[in-house]
Amino acid sequence: MRDLAAELVYRSCLLLDDRDFAGYLALCAPDFRYTVHAYAPEIRRDMVWLDHDRAEMEALFRNLPRHHSDPSPLTRHATVYTVTPDAQGTRADVISVLQVFRTALDGGATTLLAVGKLRDTVTIVDGRPLLAARVLRLETRQLGIGSHIPF
Amino acid sequence: MPRNAAEWAERPKFPPTHYVDSRLYTDEGLFREEQERIFARTWIVACHESELPQPHDFRTFRHPSGANLVVVRGDDGQVRAFYNLCPHRGNLLVHAPSGNARSLTCIFHAWSFDCRGDCTGIARRREGFQDRLDPRDVGLRAVRCERGPGGFFWTNLSDEAPPLGVFLAGALGELAPHLDEPLEVFHFQQVAIRTNFKLWHDTNSEFYHDFIHYFNRVTGMQQRGYYDRKYVPYPNGHASVGSMQVQYDRYEGGKERIGWPGLAPGGWILVDLFPGMTFNLRTSVLRVDTAVPVGPNEVIIELRGLGLARDTPAERASRVRDHNAIWGPFGRNLHEDFLAVAGQGVSLRDGRTDARWLLHAREEGMTIHDEVGMRHYYAEWSRRMGRSASDPFAEGAADTAAAGRAAE
Repeated sequence: MRDLAAELVYRSCLLLDDRDFAGYLALCAPDFRYTVHAYAPEIRRDMVWLDHDRAEMEALFRNLPRHHSDPSPLTRHATVYTVTPDAQGTRADVISVLQVFRTALDGGATTLLAVGKLRDTVTIVDGRPLLAARVLRLETRQLGIGSHIPF
Repeated sequence: MPRNAAEWAERPKFPPTHYVDSRLYTDEGLFREEQERIFARTWIVACHESELPQPHDFRTFRHPSGANLVVVRGDDGQVRAFYNLCPHRGNLLVHAPSGNARSLTCIFHAWSFDCRGDCTGIARRREGFQDRLDPRDVGLRAVRCERGPGGFFWTNLSDEAPPLGVFLAGALGELAPHLDEPLEVFHFQQVAIRTNFKLWHDTNSEFYHDFIHYFNRVTGMQQRGYYDRKYVPYPNGHASVGSMQVQYDRYEGGKERIGWPGLAPGGWILVDLFPGMTFNLRTSVLRVDTAVPVGPNEVIIELRGLGLARDTPAERASRVRDHNAIWGPFGRNLHEDFLAVAGQGVSLRDGRTDARWLLHAREEGMTIHDEVGMRHYYAEWSRRMGRSASDPFAEGAADTAAAGRAAE
């Protein structure tokens, strides 16, 4: 299970790096939900910065070509820390650390954009691991000009 | 046709009120003057009352003048502001951005102060100062603090400046009826951008840039009423933009919004406040921007998203979703706005900037694509700075020099 789950996390990063959104969605279960949180000590509140089910993720990706977006490539670097399977061995909670780097299209300078932790719920369907839920908790709250593409 | 260097440097064939010298966005000296003549003398949003709900709650704020402030709710419920600075040796008094403390105690030498700014503790005072130091002589520096519409706390470093109500001059009047209920901040984000603060405010002050926003084109620009929205200028450089009915369902995945008390369905009221704040009530969410310039080409923008304090969890979730769809860090519009002003920050990078003049010359009967909002802003800028925005160093044609003198 650990290897399956870890490879799923890494594949999801690679596919988003490549902007292969169809490939990314193929890793997601039908009831997939992706949320991004950050805690703001300034207002002493937990904030939700993104909360999309699969259909909303699909709409987001479809709309991207209609928008002006920063063309700078993003590189996601994940390290899977823990994989905790359930008793049946069909689901697992996976905790990873995520770093996101932005490389300027003009000049190629790379800067660290964000750090956070991924908490993925991985489910095994027909022997294949799928992302049932992804919760990204960002430590970084200054994200510069932001991004149309979730991390 | 392309222009040579001399042609490029020629002043635009518009009145001097309809363009600005690009050095307004790059000159270090002008920026220092702005800190002194504008930011140290105008009212600036520091925080919202929902960030200080309990007695002894505090909130720090980096004031655009350069001063660090701390805003404190006293045990009497009153909110006061002080320099966030220990009078002993100048250390930062409060390090955390928020918290609750009965006493503000400097970590350096343990001097302490109460919520009214009085010095209440000097470590080993008798041993070191004997009778030579009266704690009443080392209180905190109080900064004027007033509660404004919607429960925002405004600060002004000047003891002589007119009260907040005089400064606002009715600019929040159209919005005020919608800000009667207690509000609550649910989103706070600082965005550091390499650009001049006025370029961000310019973007908030004109809707011509809706061409960059696919979301705004399909939900607004292509809908009835968009071109009827009118700018209303107010004294002191403020301006508001009238409402329309935004058609959110015209964007794929867009949903009808839950609305806001007293606001028509799909309604949208925007108010730009000199020198760098915007109140933006867009159907279900209030967004408030405060620009905190750090240098001529660096600004930190504080973005707040607010809902009603009485929101049910479902209502709040709905407002958060609406906010994030366009204004969150992964939202459609905010990223596009930042792309634009960051691009200006690259091209208007220093005194050798590529641009020479920036045009604010569209006239469309004060409607949505008229650039009167920026012209109105720079008239106030010129008045306060004693310089013409189109000829800040008085080196231009006679008519611009005259305009500069008139502005003074």
